[in-house]
Amino acid sequence: MRSTAPAGSMAATGVVPSFPIASRLVARGSTVLALLGALVIWLALLGPFAVLIKNLSFHSIRAALGPPGALEPLWISLGASAVALGVMILFGTPLAYLLARGRLPLARIVELGVMLPLMMPPLVIGLLLIFLIGPEGTLGNLLADIHLTGVNTFFALVVAEFYEAAPFYVLGAHAAFASVDPRIEQDATLLGDRPLQAFVRITLPLAAPGLATGLATAWARAMGAFGAVIIIAYYPRGLPNQIFIAFQEFGLSGALPFALLLVVAALPLPILAYLWSARTRARVAGVETT
Amino acid sequence: MSVALPALLEVDLRVERRAVTVQAGFRLEAGDRLAIFGTSGAGKTTILESIAGLTPLSGGSVRIEGRLVAGKLKGQTALAPRDRQVAIVRQPTTLFPHLTVEQNVAYGVRHSPGRDHVAELLERLGLTVLARARGAALSGGQRQRVALGRALAGPFRVLLLDEPLSAVDLDAREALRLLAIETSLARGAAGILVTHDLAEAQAFADKLGIIDSGRLLQMGGAHEVVLSPVSRRVAELVGYGGFIPVPLTAGRWHAIHPDRVILGSRPERGLVLTGPVISTRPFGARYECTVSDRSGEHFTVHLDEAPPAGEVWMMTALDPPVVGA
Repeated sequence: MRSTAPAGSMAATGVVPSFPIASRLVARGSTVLALLGALVIWLALLGPFAVLIKNLSFHSIRAALGPPGALEPLWISLGASAVALGVMILFGTPLAYLLARGRLPLARIVELGVMLPLMMPPLVIGLLLIFLIGPEGTLGNLLADIHLTGVNTFFALVVAEFYEAAPFYVLGAHAAFASVDPRIEQDATLLGDRPLQAFVRITLPLAAPGLATGLATAWARAMGAFGAVIIIAYYPRGLPNQIFIAFQEFGLSGALPFALLLVVAALPLPILAYLWSARTRARVAGVETT
Repeated sequence: MSVALPALLEVDLRVERRAVTVQAGFRLEAGDRLAIFGTSGAGKTTILESIAGLTPLSGGSVRIEGRLVAGKLKGQTALAPRDRQVAIVRQPTTLFPHLTVEQNVAYGVRHSPGRDHVAELLERLGLTVLARARGAALSGGQRQRVALGRALAGPFRVLLLDEPLSAVDLDAREALRLLAIETSLARGAAGILVTHDLAEAQAFADKLGIIDSGRLLQMGGAHEVVLSPVSRRVAELVGYGGFIPVPLTAGRWHAIHPDRVILGSRPERGLVLTGPVISTRPFGARYECTVSDRSGEHFTVHLDEAPPAGEVWMMTALDPPVVGA
């Protein structure tokens, strides 16, 4: 739908002074730029998907994923990501809430700490994690006492994925909680709710779309974590590692089926979360989309 | 210290805000309704919020049924807002945006018998057709109705209303006001309304408190305070517009209320004023005139007839109170 007619007719009758013509040019120019930008982004981001689908043959998929045990990396990645996500929700949710409400001492420093893993190259994180939880590391010694080691174990894989993914959840949850007006929570306690009841009945549902988006992003990051993982958790072999190894041993045709598997396993949750949160937001904003 | 039986609500509080220190002291019994009237920034909302537990006291205390709910006294701790048996309608109105109108109103209802009551309440609020709508779809007046219903639905002994009907159409206010009063009486509660609309204050309350710069200047019957202000400032706040110096008495004035002036000389009914009419303009169905007295004071009166500007008229201010500074 275009609605240039009223503006044009107003200009023709001379009611509108001349400057709107310039501003209309700017508006048109920026529309063209926005469309071009969208095209570039779609090409850059979605192009590889098209290439991935185009270059896969059913035969090569069956050859790669058919043999017994070939799906093992998938189960390992799903398991480790699920555990990392669980830990994230357990500790990250209260942290994000207190950060959003400004009820944490040294909040800026805590926030910086949460963001640090985002700023550090994952490979470097992997190296540093060895010092921390490796057999010779500070925490590593304590872990050894309970027969855990932070290198090449499922535990190490979870830690590495947690490091790469948790900031996405905590920052997303922080923004989600910050968007909930504290007055609304107050209203709930004035109507007889205990603080936890108000959190469950008011804060959580209102923050849910943002939480879901943060969680989905974190899930995708955890499933795809590679930099830190390859340093401290070469084994057990998760999907990203498997892709890398298959690529080294068999080249592109060997790696692509696993790449497809990773995408298929990691993407549905984020997409569903996105669709659900968009729908929930629209509903609360009064735009019913049933 | 008072030895009388504890009142339902006893307030003796001090709250220091950046611009003003708010101080207030009063007692309300079950069934009492107090309106606190004053300009914006005078501290009206602060009083309500400190009773509800949203603003900490700097000193003093708030008691409900003899129980300390706010402030410090040895051996007693203040109650959390949710335990105070207080219902409040706040400004600006915030609803629970993810819940429907009906769910909002029923939010504080904890027991199933209250559910029938919610339907009845929605009916009286004029919200039945909107029961399944959410906040974003409502107008300002409708949102205020929901907020009022939400406060009235649950259990309470003290009802606090902060300009609850400011966005409601004038012709719908009477029914909502009545609903608030009836519900409050049925609960055996005391009610406090704060407003900068004097007519609204008088329509709701039997007691009127005048607040200015954080201090309660006068408290009394809703009509009495307006007819007998204790000071020039109170008189100004409740609408007196003319102050004619009392002869031979420095710092004392006859306060002239625009609505309490009639045309003609009726010395037995009050103070006779003589002077030229400066200007006349329509005022609703009546006329508003600016008049100058012999003393040179200008004041405004509301009259049924329109005296032409420029002519000298005699008027009688009905029993004008004499006020000091």
